Amino acid sequence: MKASPSAVALKYFFVLLASAVVLYPLLWMVTMAFKPHPEWTTVAGLTWFPQNPTLQNFEFIFYGEAEGLVVSLDRTISGPLFASLVTSICGTLLAVVTGTLSSYAVVRFGLAKTLPLSVLQLRLFPPLAVMIPVMVMWAFLGAVDTWWGLSLIYGIVTLPFAFWLMKTFFEEVPVEIEDAARVAGCSYWRVFYRITLPIVKPGLATCALFVFILNWSDYLLALLLTQKEWVTLPVYMATLTSAMGGQMYGMKAALGVIAAIPPVIFGLMIQKHLVRGLTFGALKQ
Amino acid sequence: MSSIQINSVTKRFGDFTAVDDLSLDIQEGEFVALLGPSGCGKTTTMNMIAGLEDTSEGSILFDGQDLSKTRIQDRNIGFVFQNYAIFTHLSVYKNLSYGLEVKKISKSEVDRRVRAMADRMSITHRLDQPASSLSVNEMQKLAIGRSAIVEPRIFLLDEPLSNLDAGFRAYMRAELKVLQHEFGQTMIYVTHDQIEAMSLADKIAIIDQGKLMQYGSPLDIYNSPDNRFVANFIGSPRMNLIDGEIREETSQLKLMVRGGAEIPLQGQVKSDFTSDGRVHSGSFGIRPQDIYFGDKRSTKDIEMHGTVEVLERVGPKRIVHLQVLETSFIAFDDQDQLKLGDEVPFFMPPDKSMAFDVVSGRRLGVV
Amino acid sequence: MTDTTKQPANARIEPSKQGYWAGVARDGNKMGFWFVLPTLLLLLFIVIFPLLMQLYLSVTWWTPLEGIPWYRAWEVFSWGENYWFQLTDPRVWGALWRTILIMIIAVPAQFFLGMALAYLFMDNFPGRKVFYSIMLTPMMIVPAVVGLMFFLLFQGTGPVNAHLGLPSTFSWLTDVNRAMISVIIADVWQWTPLMFLILLAGMLGVPSDQLLAARLLGGSNWQNFLKIILPRMKAVIIIALVLRAVECFKIFDLIFIMTKGGPGVQTETISLFLYKQTFGEFEWSYVAAIGLTILFVLSLIAAKGLAYMAKKNG
Repeated sequence: MKASPSAVALKYFFVLLASAVVLYPLLWMVTMAFKPHPEWTTVAGLTWFPQNPTLQNFEFIFYGEAEGLVVSLDRTISGPLFASLVTSICGTLLAVVTGTLSSYAVVRFGLAKTLPLSVLQLRLFPPLAVMIPVMVMWAFLGAVDTWWGLSLIYGIVTLPFAFWLMKTFFEEVPVEIEDAARVAGCSYWRVFYRITLPIVKPGLATCALFVFILNWSDYLLALLLTQKEWVTLPVYMATLTSAMGGQMYGMKAALGVIAAIPPVIFGLMIQKHLVRGLTFGALKQ
Repeated sequence: MSSIQINSVTKRFGDFTAVDDLSLDIQEGEFVALLGPSGCGKTTTMNMIAGLEDTSEGSILFDGQDLSKTRIQDRNIGFVFQNYAIFTHLSVYKNLSYGLEVKKISKSEVDRRVRAMADRMSITHRLDQPASSLSVNEMQKLAIGRSAIVEPRIFLLDEPLSNLDAGFRAYMRAELKVLQHEFGQTMIYVTHDQIEAMSLADKIAIIDQGKLMQYGSPLDIYNSPDNRFVANFIGSPRMNLIDGEIREETSQLKLMVRGGAEIPLQGQVKSDFTSDGRVHSGSFGIRPQDIYFGDKRSTKDIEMHGTVEVLERVGPKRIVHLQVLETSFIAFDDQDQLKLGDEVPFFMPPDKSMAFDVVSGRRLGVV
Repeated sequence: MTDTTKQPANARIEPSKQGYWAGVARDGNKMGFWFVLPTLLLLLFIVIFPLLMQLYLSVTWWTPLEGIPWYRAWEVFSWGENYWFQLTDPRVWGALWRTILIMIIAVPAQFFLGMALAYLFMDNFPGRKVFYSIMLTPMMIVPAVVGLMFFLLFQGTGPVNAHLGLPSTFSWLTDVNRAMISVIIADVWQWTPLMFLILLAGMLGVPSDQLLAARLLGGSNWQNFLKIILPRMKAVIIIALVLRAVECFKIFDLIFIMTKGGPGVQTETISLFLYKQTFGEFEWSYVAAIGLTILFVLSLIAAKGLAYMAKKNG
């Protein structure tokens, strides 16, 4: 049963074409990050790979200034980078812990049957439709532009994902194992902590990475709830313009590259497991 | 309806040879069983016939035509899977009509043929129901009907009855035979169950470890096995096969069995063994049914003495285990005369007994 | 916590049949209650309370510029004026229309492209794993960064114009018609891989022996695809479409970075409109009202949809 050579050629043609389309924008941004100022636009002619590759852009965002550049930044990347890390990690912790506990309760104890669906509904609405009260509350609580304020909203917003992912993982743990442990005298908490959790460890890891990606990638919430101190990487990247430097494509590209790396790495690590969570268990893997 | 010629086909998967230089000639309209133990290569052979696998060497011709370049969907080969592979998301009707619809046959014609086939397979009452709701037996019939309705040139069946309950299996065996005659289809049937093969097939191809052991009618295979494997495989209960050394003593060929028993051999072994005076390993075989007790019927019959060790009742019959020194013979006690511990003479007619060369497995003394 | 020796050894925890609170009294469910508690508290915090606040604000004229704290918003009561206004506000309808326009172009495009890609990747071929990983990358890129990428691409002095041989004055992002196209292209680029991922998983879930049986019966690849593969993918297809449609409705990051909703209001979707109202005009009570309307309408649609699905699954 061989495919004809022309069919194979055709397949590869389309696969390569699709790959090219996928890589085109990425490549442009990555090369842009290494281009010096004159090469940022095609005024001087289109250059795909930088003719004079430079680390200037990266220097600039890390040190606030660089050789040969007139402008300087009043804040470097270190603040936003730190902010992104802290808030993403804390938000992830919050979402994963609460999501895991509650999904376990729903799966094993049959509690709150309406929880899955109501949790899902949270994702249905455009954030801006419901952010006014949140902004007011946060301001009232003094949570604006704080690490914990942002982490809190991150945790809440990604809770549905953690919940649904862990739910599908818990549903695959055979009840018999837990029953056996309970028959042997373990309390419910022990069963959960010592038996079930180790079994779903890979699922837990997938869940945590997935939620981290979501939090790290957030733009809107950080835009609304931070001002200066705890601005995250994406927001910082978007605001990088100055009166003198104009649009600073190179720096923005450099920032984009840095911001994009963690999710891509984590994403590739968990790509196999993504399917299960994303189809809400509609497929039996 | 096609004839099939399998010419020296070999199939290798990496280092493993699944099928080794297999040649078979199947006539139009024949029902051929590929029989053998699990893993012997019969399913691989079938897959090659269907075109699901390529041959590593050799060719398969259909009415003289080599179809290896033809796409699977154009080969018009009927295939019934072991697990039926019914389209569970479609109704019974749609399952039957699939093969016709893809050929763009008119709706009225499709309808006519579907209903006719459903009627013949006795599943008309299920036509509009989802195929997944059928019982296993009905699914079997649907699987066969679905393949038969497109009137393929040959029919391949991969252990189709192994999932059925025993009573239904017997029924379906009869059904298949009737169908085959009606359609006049060439059928190739893979099974590890010799009773199925013996009762259904016109010819049986016994395969072991990728090699063809024997190809012949059920009767031939039963009465004249070509080699030790076939002799051992066919027949229930199994043929008695006693291994030992063949030696000539006082111009009498004997099989010396470990433990001291001696079986005199007569016409079973040709003299080519005795000429070099060497000792050869051999097997002596006789079917339990052919051993008898009581009076010796002919002077040529081999006579031996043994002790009754075990008596088993199997239905209306009794099986006797006779112990001769360290060797055991299995026979039937038709007269119900024997008791445990009896020392009795028993007799084996030479024309029913066989000798095999242990090394090559080949039957000795075959003309 | 309590241990189980009080219960018979092989008792299974039964889902509480009498309703949510009835089971709390029993052993296992008591434990479960603690498990669910954090989530319930958060939900209360982030759903119930803000909803009430939003309702409250929506019937006032309150804005943060008023100078009074929010809980005194009753001082500028407005009844249903905000709700009335949004029905006649052309900007609201415009934003809604543009959002739907993006949805009905982008989502089907992603679906068909995703399906085509899934079909391509269905059978194994050398390098499949590598190309698969490549194909998934776009959906893993931070949306804001995707916005940046296409911002760079569609600059007048950018590579798109250069490759198409267009002058650098040919603008994409600031052109009245082409801004929308640019945005849609960016969204399709980013999210087709998600469709691809889900649809491929659905495709591979089709039992291979049935596909084989279909081929042996004479079905060509295309016929088998239509009659065997596609029908079995129904559930997955619906999930993929609904998922993407919902997310597409919310689109913000991409557009904000590429065009900020411009030129004018050409790419102003619901989310962008709300943003401008919030931080441009500071009409917070108006936004609250619109927000609640959206909530209401979407919940209705969701409820209808779930009822329909429940009916289909018996």
